[in-house]
Amino acid sequence: MMLARVADSLYWIGRYVERAEHLCRLSDVMLNATLDRNEAAGLVSRIVLSAVGDTELHRADDPYQLALALALDRHDGGSIVSSLALARENARQVRDQITTETWERLNMLHLRVTAAEAPRAFGDGPSAFLHDIIADLHLFKGAADATMSHGEGWRFLLLGVHLERAQLIGRLLEACFGLRRAPEDHMALMGVLRMSCALEPYLRRFTADVQPRKVLEFLLLDEEFPRSMRFCTARIEEYLSSAARHADAGGHSPPERLAGRLRARLQYADMDEYDGASGLISSVLEDCAALHQSIYDTFVAYSLETRLPA
Amino acid sequence: MATQDPDCTTDAQAVPPPVTPYDEMLTSVGGVRDHYAGLHQRIATLSAAEMAERQRTLERYFLLQGITFTVYGGESSTERIIPTDLLPRIIPAAEWQRIEAGLTQRLRALNMFLADIYGAQQILMDGVVPRELVLGAPSYRREMQNLYVPHEAYANVCGSDLIRQPDGAYAVLEDNLRVPSGVSYMLANREASRRTFPGSFREAGVRAIDRYPDLLLTTLKSMAADWRPNPQIVVLTPGVYNSAYYEHAYLARLMGCPLVEGRDLVVHDNMVYMRTTTGLRRIDVIYRRVDDDFIDPLTFRRDSALGSAGLFNAYRAGNVVICNAPGTGVADDKAVYAYVPAIIRYYLGEDAILPNIETYLCREPTQLAHVLANLDKLVVKAVGASGGYGMLIGPHASRKEREAFAMAIAADPANYIAQPTIQLSTAPCLIDGEIEPRHVDLRPFILSGEKIVVTPGALTRVALKKGSLVVNSSQGGGSKDTWVLESTPTGAHP
Repeated sequence: MMLARVADSLYWIGRYVERAEHLCRLSDVMLNATLDRNEAAGLVSRIVLSAVGDTELHRADDPYQLALALALDRHDGGSIVSSLALARENARQVRDQITTETWERLNMLHLRVTAAEAPRAFGDGPSAFLHDIIADLHLFKGAADATMSHGEGWRFLLLGVHLERAQLIGRLLEACFGLRRAPEDHMALMGVLRMSCALEPYLRRFTADVQPRKVLEFLLLDEEFPRSMRFCTARIEEYLSSAARHADAGGHSPPERLAGRLRARLQYADMDEYDGASGLISSVLEDCAALHQSIYDTFVAYSLETRLPA
Repeated sequence: MATQDPDCTTDAQAVPPPVTPYDEMLTSVGGVRDHYAGLHQRIATLSAAEMAERQRTLERYFLLQGITFTVYGGESSTERIIPTDLLPRIIPAAEWQRIEAGLTQRLRALNMFLADIYGAQQILMDGVVPRELVLGAPSYRREMQNLYVPHEAYANVCGSDLIRQPDGAYAVLEDNLRVPSGVSYMLANREASRRTFPGSFREAGVRAIDRYPDLLLTTLKSMAADWRPNPQIVVLTPGVYNSAYYEHAYLARLMGCPLVEGRDLVVHDNMVYMRTTTGLRRIDVIYRRVDDDFIDPLTFRRDSALGSAGLFNAYRAGNVVICNAPGTGVADDKAVYAYVPAIIRYYLGEDAILPNIETYLCREPTQLAHVLANLDKLVVKAVGASGGYGMLIGPHASRKEREAFAMAIAADPANYIAQPTIQLSTAPCLIDGEIEPRHVDLRPFILSGEKIVVTPGALTRVALKKGSLVVNSSQGGGSKDTWVLESTPTGAHP
C-alpha cells in the first residue's frame, strides 16, 4: 500500500535520474568525438542533437556550447542540471519513503551541480565533470538497491528508470538509424555504442566487427544487456506484474498487458522481417508512450467512482 | 493588578530591568557552573581553527540531510541551513525535574480548560476567566462545542516557550498548542552535537531524546485506541513549500506513517480515505501540521486548498481523530495566557509550579493606562500575531515607533497585551570564532494522549544578533542542542 502521489513521485525520480545519466553520456561521447575535426564528428553531434529532440540544427556546429547547455542550462527543463533538480525535488516530496542513504546521494549531487562553481568545474574538464555525475548516479542507484525495501516504492522507482531508458535508447536509435541511410561510419557507430554504454558488452558478443545491423540488433533485442530495449521491457513487465499483485486487481492490469505484449514482440522479433528498422523503433516508442499513460491512469489518476466503498 | 497570579504581583515600574542577565555557564563572579565544567574545559583546549572545523562539520551535516529552507530571490533560489550553534546548552537534573513537573501540570490544566470551554463552560460561569475573552477570541471554534475528544487530550503536542529570568528562575513566556514546530531541530541538533562533542557528551551523562517519534506514535495511537485496535495514522502536511516540511517528512519517516497532503485525501460518507496505488484506504488518526483555518474548506476557510473538504464533519461524526484538536488555540491566546495560573488553581487546586510573566491586558482600562504610560519599558504584543511579528520591544524602539504603536493600541486595546522587558538568560555561543554570550529561550515538547509525557530535551533558540532578545528563526534566530543531564553535579558553583 502506498500513496498514489508518492508512487508517481518515485516513478519520476527514476525517470529523471535515468535521463540525467543518459545526457551525461551523450555529451561526453560527443565532446570526445569532436576533438577530431572530421565528417564523422559532425555526424555524432547531429545524432546527439536529434536524440535530444532539438531541431535547431546549427547548434551541432558548436559541440562544446551544446554540451555545456545540455549539462548546466537551468532554463532548459531537459538539461542535466534540471533533471537532477527535478529528481531531487520529487525526492524531497517523498523524503519519508526513501532511505537516508539514497537521499544523501541525490541531495549531494544536486548541491554540486547547482553550486556556483559548477560552470568552472565543467570548463576545467567536461569529461571528468560528466563522468563524476554518472558515477554519483550509480551510487544513488546502488544505495537505493542496497538500502530500500524492494517493495512497491522501489518497483515504481525502477519502473521509471527502465521506461525512461527504453525511450531514450529508442530515440537514440531513431536518430541514428531512422536516417534515410544508416551510418556506415565506424566512428559514428562506436559513438552510438558508447552513448548506450554498450561498447564493451557489444565487443564481447560480436567482437570488434561493428556493423550497423548488429549494433541495432544488440541495442534493440539483446536479452541480457541492461540497456537493450528488450531487456528494459522485460523489467517493466516484471515490476508491473508484482505491482498488480499488490493491487489485488485479479487478472492483468492494463499497463501489465501492454508491457507483456511489447516484451513478447521484442523477444520474438526477427530483424530479417524488417526492411530498415525505423518502423519497428517508432512503433516500440509509441507503445512506450502508451504504457506511460496507462501506468498513470491505473495507479495514480484513477477515477474515484470505481474505487469508493459501496 | 495585572494578573491574578500571586507570583507576578510586583509592578514593573518598581523593578527596573536588571542590567545583568542570568548566564547559563558563568556565575556572577565569573566562575563556571558545575554542570558546565566538562564542556568548558573541552572548549578551552580547542583552538579557534578546530572550533571552526567543528562548526563546518555541523553545517555540512545539516546541508547533507536537507535540513534547509529556501531563500527565493531574483533568478535563482538558494538553500540555507537554519543557523545552528555548536555549543550545547546544559540543564542539570534538578532544574529539569521542576520544569517537567511544571509543564505536566500546565498541560493537564489547559486540556481540562479546553474540555470545559468546549463543554459545560463552568469556568466562565464561575467568572474565573472573562466570558467574552474566550468566546470572542478568533481562535475559539464554535464548531468544537460538545464534541467528544478521547482522554480530553486536545493539545496532543504542545511546545511551551520558557525563559530564564535574571534571578535564574524559569518562567513560561507562552504556550503553543496549535501546531508547534521545532522538534525535528531538537533531534537534528542532537545528532549533530553527538558528532561534534562525542567525548563531552559521553562524560556528561545526557538523557536520550531519540524516543520522541515512538512516543508521538503511541500518543496518536492512544487517541483511537477505544474504537480501532490498529489505527491507520497519517501526518498531514501543507506540502513541500511549507517552511517546516522537513520536519513533517522527518516525523512521518521515523514513525513509519504516510505523509499525506490535502490532495491525497478523499472524504466519503463521513469517512476519510487516502488515495493509494491500490485504491482508497481508510484513515483513523490525522496528525495534522496544517492550521485550523485550512483543514477543511467546507467548515473553515473556503479558499484553502491545503485541507480536505468534509474532513471536519468526519471528525464530528467520530470517524477520524484530528490531532491537535481544532480550537486548541484559544488556550494559548496571548490574553488567555494571563489567566493560566488561575486556570491551574481552578482545576487542580494547586499553585503553578512554573510562573507566568507578568502580563497587562490592554482591554482593561486601568492596565491600558499603565501600558501607554510605560511603553519605553514594556514589550507589547498583538494578541493575534506570532513569530516575533506585531511586537514592540519598548526599550529598543525609537520614539516614533513607540508613538505609532501607542496609536495602534489605543485604536484596538483588546488586541494587545504588554509585559515587562525580561532579560532572557544568555548561553555561550560560537560567534565568528569567539565564544560570546547570546540570549536564549527554551522550548520543550510535551505530548498528551492517554498520558502526558515530557521529552527530556528541548529546542534552545538563540538570538544570534548581539543584544537581541528575539529568538524567532524568521527574525535572525538560530538554535542549539540542549543537554538534560541524568544528575546534578554538585560543587562550589551551583
